[in-house]
Amino acid sequence: MTTAVGNLSIAVQRRFGRQRLRKIILGSIPFAVMIAIWHANTVFDWLPPVFIPPIGDVWEAIFFLQEDCAGFVALVMLDNSCLITTHVFSSIGRVILAAIVGLPLGIAFGILCGMSRTLSKFLEPVGVFANSISGIAWIPLAIVWFGVGWVTTLFIMLNTIFWLMFFNSMLGVRSVAKVYEESVLTMGGSRWDVIKQVYLPGAMPSIITGMRMSMGFGWRALIAAEMIGGDSGLGFMIFTSAAEFKIEEVFLGVIFISIIFMATDKYLLAPLEKWTVERWGLVWRPT
Amino acid sequence: MDRLWWHFQQLLKIDAMNLVILVIVVLIGWTIISETIPNPARYLPSPLAVSLSSVDMLVKGLLPSYYSDTLVRLIIGSSIGLAAGIPFGLLLGLNKTVADMFHPMMNFFQSVSGIAIFPIVVIWWGNSDTTVLAVILYTSFFPIAFNVLSGVREIPIRYVNAARTMGASRYQIMKDVLFPGAMPHIATGSRLSIGFAWRAVIAGEMLAGRQGLGWMIFTGQDADRTAEVILGMVMIGLTWIILDHYLLRPIEADTIERWGLVQR
Repeated sequence: MTTAVGNLSIAVQRRFGRQRLRKIILGSIPFAVMIAIWHANTVFDWLPPVFIPPIGDVWEAIFFLQEDCAGFVALVMLDNSCLITTHVFSSIGRVILAAIVGLPLGIAFGILCGMSRTLSKFLEPVGVFANSISGIAWIPLAIVWFGVGWVTTLFIMLNTIFWLMFFNSMLGVRSVAKVYEESVLTMGGSRWDVIKQVYLPGAMPSIITGMRMSMGFGWRALIAAEMIGGDSGLGFMIFTSAAEFKIEEVFLGVIFISIIFMATDKYLLAPLEKWTVERWGLVWRPT
Repeated sequence: MDRLWWHFQQLLKIDAMNLVILVIVVLIGWTIISETIPNPARYLPSPLAVSLSSVDMLVKGLLPSYYSDTLVRLIIGSSIGLAAGIPFGLLLGLNKTVADMFHPMMNFFQSVSGIAIFPIVVIWWGNSDTTVLAVILYTSFFPIAFNVLSGVREIPIRYVNAARTMGASRYQIMKDVLFPGAMPHIATGSRLSIGFAWRAVIAGEMLAGRQGLGWMIFTGQDADRTAEVILGMVMIGLTWIILDHYLLRPIEADTIERWGLVQR
């Protein structure tokens, strides 16, 4: 018996790595304690369930919100009867749409403007200013322009992403030494070659860092935009649930929001950034 | 002070001319767009209308009062958040096991944005100043605590061991090794958490309906006074530029220059 457990333990340690396993186990302790305190609160009635809902209620809220769902088709069509999936997917859909449109647009404009040093010097204050009011400060104006709805929320997210990308790629291109550009031109390269061979790789670390930053800020701005000027999405869901004092739905929404963000950041953006910095980052820069 | 003055001179030397040209171009473009669209008062008031509304609000005394409300909130919230977050991060970082233990949890809390917990807080305290303050505190506390914790974790263990070998006490290790070693992270984290707090102030005021710049642009939209909305946006942007570029960034750069280049 003991050897079986021992073998299993060794197998698990080999599979995950000793250090990583230690970190996972250690890291889960505070979460376990937190959940235990949360549960104890329900058992011993320290704070009323109106303020801190029982864990069971939060779990059941998933099924309660999803109860009226009329099958798979309604779920995919984001029907209002499937509340949870509709709100989650409409938030994620907006993120993806904004990323597909905003990231390439921001990078392209940033590189184009960064190519001309004079132009970029002019546009730098624009980027600084736009970045400092990007996000939530645009929400009221966006509501005036587009009304309450998905266009407003998409606009806020796009706005946040675009300016951050624009600014970061512009600065990235500007930081590439002129020697590289000139040497490609001397060897008979075209403008397009310069962009492809010099600017894009040179600005890559800056672009990827900007990408990670813009998704972080964009996600936060999106949640705020959905609360104030949206009619669907997780932000909208938690805000309307709070207005009806359904705190278990609010907790559920907050947990979803953080899990989605952490998963994207940890498994997509952070590895991408690390890989890029390793691959493109250590370019020798002439002094 | 000297450094601020130096930045100011640099601004005058290089960027002033560019900036003036840029502002003129933007204002002309803005005026042309606002003249050509129908109903500019609602959709895009001209720069003139915006400046008139700013004069109007200045005369009524609304603008200074909103502005100071927002700034006071930011200063109180972020200073409490920083004052609590830096020692907290350092304390957690004292012990490697404890640091490993709390790192994922701090990461979790710092990635839940303050805006997302707003609905919870609003159930607890209603639409009050406490709610806004709680959201600001949350948004400024966790990024700084997480950054300090990460900074402490990155300090090579041999520095701690070296100090310990020479008979340093726990307090001395914290004061002479961990605190200076985490200094760059403290500076970066402070800038980050003040940035998040600034956004949280604006959003909190909008959602909780407490007077301030965020409230000003939100009610401006409700009451169809778009000029006030744009005025508020410009004020928000300018304030953050001044705060970030002429205060926080120089401080961060100085700190990293002074404490950052520790050989690893």
